[in-house]
Amino acid sequence: MTDHTLNRLRAANPSPEGTAVNADALFDRIVLSTADRRLGHTPRRRRRPMLLVAIVIVVCGLLASGAYGVSGLFDHIIHGPTVKAEYAAAQKQLTLPPGHRWPPLNWPKNSVTSRGAGGSFAVSVDQDAWECYWVDAIHSGDVASQRRANAALDDLMANHIVIAPAGSPEDYTPPQSERTPTLAFADDGGYQYKQRMYAEAAAGKPRLLEQSCLANGP
Amino acid sequence: MTSDTDRRSAEERFREVFAHLGAVTAYARRRGSRDPDGLAAEAMTIAWRRLAGVPQDDPLPWLYATARNLLLAERRVARRTGTRVVEPSVPAPELHDLDPQLDAALRSLSPADREALLLVAWEDLAPTQAARVLGLKPTAFRVRLLRARRRLRAALDEERRPAPLVQIDVEGT
Repeated sequence: MTDHTLNRLRAANPSPEGTAVNADALFDRIVLSTADRRLGHTPRRRRRPMLLVAIVIVVCGLLASGAYGVSGLFDHIIHGPTVKAEYAAAQKQLTLPPGHRWPPLNWPKNSVTSRGAGGSFAVSVDQDAWECYWVDAIHSGDVASQRRANAALDDLMANHIVIAPAGSPEDYTPPQSERTPTLAFADDGGYQYKQRMYAEAAAGKPRLLEQSCLANGP
Repeated sequence: MTSDTDRRSAEERFREVFAHLGAVTAYARRRGSRDPDGLAAEAMTIAWRRLAGVPQDDPLPWLYATARNLLLAERRVARRTGTRVVEPSVPAPELHDLDPQLDAALRSLSPADREALLLVAWEDLAPTQAARVLGLKPTAFRVRLLRARRRLRAALDEERRPAPLVQIDVEGT
């Protein structure tokens, strides 16, 4: 392209920079939410000796213990097939909104996680689906579906979503997750943020709900 | 985050990223987002949550790439709700205010060509930055940009060309 053509395209830029939002307020709101956990971590190089020591201790412990001890030690760790089984079982206890389907869970067979993870995935999927269903209902003016979505999300928040106790490890497993699919939120205000989102949507201000659906929806 | 110091340091770092809020909003607006302010806010929230992965020296391409993904998600939602969607793969630019000749020439390009041109001309990115937005190697992007430039020029020439004269057969003369 000649410079003339490029300049012509540049001159035709239809929108100058700028935002209508209160940038300071937005900044404050964003930094109130959970930050990237990786930023607070000690550099890996310094952690390595400690990690090595920890691995040696664990290996020694394993060798010293019997089969019973080993099985007990790893009781809370599950593999791919168990995760998928949990995910499938959770689908029987949870209800998706009309028109939605459970997405397949692609969990590698040789990958491990904590017990209850399959259920928590299902709760997360269900929550995202109901949020988007609610947004669609708002856009289409379907009041009955809006109420239904609100009720479904209230039920999820009350019975399937908990706040992990302060100081819990990353792999915290809620005690009730053996019986009921349960998703644990970190104690960082995320649960309260969702509550606010639903309350505002019910009051006719669906902006947060729309953003959540946009970011997390199927 | 392990301490207040870490948090303050993260906030300082994020402030530099957040300084691009206006640019991201304008990008979303130019690409026809239904809610440019909301989309830019969402991109910034994602940047905060993934701050360790945001390049410190030049966060803008990362932000545009995130905004672009959010735009695509917005299009998917719009498609689900029955809203008319113009472009299947790349966000379509908001071209309504352009002069008709340039508008027609831009619309005649493929979405990939158009996005390459607009990232350079409207978002004022260097080719290496624009390449990062699209996940391309700089060399590949330069080739795409060169071809897109040629195609735009050809399309503009085509637009400028006068309509062919209609040949009139006059009988009996």
